[in-house]
Amino acid sequence: MATYDFLFSSLGLEEWCAEGKSDAPMSMAALLQKTKGTGAEPESLWELPFPSMNALNESCAAFPKSRELTKGLEEGFLSIKDSMSVVLDPLTQPLSWFLDGALYGMLNTPWWIVIPLLLAVVFFVTKSWKLVGFVAVSLVLLAFIDYYRYAMETLSIIFVCAFLCVLFGVPIGIAMSRSDMMQRLTIPVLDMLQTLPPFVYLIPLIFLFSVTESKLYGIAIILYAIVPVIRLTNLGIRLVDKDVIEAADAFGMTSQQKLFKVQVPLALPNIMAGVNQTIMMSLAMVVIASLVSAPGLGVLVLQGIRNLELGVGLVAGLGIVILAVILDRVTKASLARINASQKQ
Amino acid sequence: MDRNIKISIRNLYKIFGPDPVGALEHVRGGMGKAELLEKHNHVLGLQDINVDIHEGEITVIMGLSGSGKSTLIRHLNRLIEPTAGEVQVDGEDVLKFDENQLRKLRREQMSMVFQKFALLPHKTVLENAGMALLVRGYSVEDFEGDAKKWLARVGLEGNEYQYPHQLSGGMQQRVGIARALASNSPVMLMDEAFSALDPLIRSDMQDLLLELQDELQKTVVFITHDLDESLKLADHLVILKDGHIVQQGEPQEILMSPNDPYITDFISDINRARVLRVRSIMKKTAEAPDDYAGDISDRDNLESVIALSDGDTSLTYRVVRKGKQVGILDMKELVKALVPTEGSEGDARSRY
Repeated sequence: MATYDFLFSSLGLEEWCAEGKSDAPMSMAALLQKTKGTGAEPESLWELPFPSMNALNESCAAFPKSRELTKGLEEGFLSIKDSMSVVLDPLTQPLSWFLDGALYGMLNTPWWIVIPLLLAVVFFVTKSWKLVGFVAVSLVLLAFIDYYRYAMETLSIIFVCAFLCVLFGVPIGIAMSRSDMMQRLTIPVLDMLQTLPPFVYLIPLIFLFSVTESKLYGIAIILYAIVPVIRLTNLGIRLVDKDVIEAADAFGMTSQQKLFKVQVPLALPNIMAGVNQTIMMSLAMVVIASLVSAPGLGVLVLQGIRNLELGVGLVAGLGIVILAVILDRVTKASLARINASQKQ
Repeated sequence: MDRNIKISIRNLYKIFGPDPVGALEHVRGGMGKAELLEKHNHVLGLQDINVDIHEGEITVIMGLSGSGKSTLIRHLNRLIEPTAGEVQVDGEDVLKFDENQLRKLRREQMSMVFQKFALLPHKTVLENAGMALLVRGYSVEDFEGDAKKWLARVGLEGNEYQYPHQLSGGMQQRVGIARALASNSPVMLMDEAFSALDPLIRSDMQDLLLELQDELQKTVVFITHDLDESLKLADHLVILKDGHIVQQGEPQEILMSPNDPYITDFISDINRARVLRVRSIMKKTAEAPDDYAGDISDRDNLESVIALSDGDTSLTYRVVRKGKQVGILDMKELVKALVPTEGSEGDARSRY
């Protein structure tokens, strides 16, 4: 006799429960319980168990246990997995090519070309010699302690993923800003992507793609990092001065002209802030993604934890900090340049 | 005035709320703004508006905030859709236009000047001035000459390559006006164009507008909440209150015979000597008076006549227009005209 027997008997479901009993082999726990002779009704109201799936199962064997729920989810996912792979595999294949290509290119170009090239890019987007100096010192330092290769791996993954985030995120943000319906549908998804612990969405990805493929971590990074650029594009366009939009309408702009000549340029500071956040978040994720074979500094951190190599882990962590500071300063400086040219 | 009617607004209604058409029935049945809001939770924006806007004139629509004047001007180029009524431009009903026709109307027929300037902050003054042409697909090289000409005309020579945020408010609004002029459209809509400027600059801008108007003869629709401004600019004055027209007509006539206590209230504070003109109070006659102190123009304001007479009320002046006598003005009449008139209720609401 269990607590909720009365529920099933009053509903007249005893027969249905009994069916479950005859079918299922006795579980270990039930067996133990039986031999010990416990499992009697609780003596007081104080110990009344919540009518959960497991508690109800005690009274009625046909009632599913909670593990069966998660199991059902697993089975459901596994059954659609193959058909999903058929669609998703070719769709995401270019991502693997991009990542492998970027890694190959970055690592097989000699350092004396890569470092000056990076410095030239920094100068081009920021026009600040101070920043160029800072980046040069940081890169040389990383190279000197033989972390150059790992840092470049991390950087090339971030470049590819952040670029793809912007490529997809900005149009999604624009679509959201133009339709309230789209915004209502997208925001819960973005909220979920942002709050889900990053490890959790590695799980279905591991089932879907083979761990040896680089697109596995690419997708994980993009899903995690695309959120801010979408949000801030949407916000930026929605915040564009209503008066200016009205003027654009009054002078007969088409909606395309309005978008590309007024809304996007005026939203640019916000979009760039989103790009900055996206880059920062891909850096955070690239470390976690080393769990699923992403190369780079994250591998060293992981190695530090696994082999208790304190020094390796700490120095790799510092290397990540340096990369983060470089990326943040460079994107912020270019953002400041945009802001300066169009303050209202 | 024997000018053509450029824009004609007929029985225009605008109701804001979830079911404007349903609410329209109540308004047609005689329900007022307050009652409609209380019982049906709809806001009556405009109610039975009829205005003829003549070509080449400045039509000023005046009202306090909430009177619906900004809503009204946005119906002319359909930035706001009306609930019922017609807006005809050159005899064609704008409300029946499809998207392309409407865009053409906005690009070629009407330009607009905004209270908050609404310039593009990321474009230079030159590009802003040429915005209408840019929208039509011309490149900067194409319209550079035109845009520069208009910028120079509004007094912004040498500022072409600056950005709007580098200019003062008055200068930004000059860019706004240059932008409207450069579009070369016959109609200019000005939505409280000078309200955000300080009084001295506002007065300058009013003079600039009158000067340009003498030269270009555009059809201007000007929105303002400032009575002095409307009296200075208006050829035709429309006074709005709570979404309906209280009185419209020639500003001098409205001053001399206000038909509503609301207007009487409104005009009681102004300096009548400065805004009233000789032609509104003179006795119309071609007969020369026996004895007159001198000639005055019918467009002089009373202030200047008082100054001329040195305060002597016994004098009589001959009023001339283009060398011919059109009337006489007794100084005693002038002094009487300075006393604000009581509201002559019972008059027709409007001149239609």
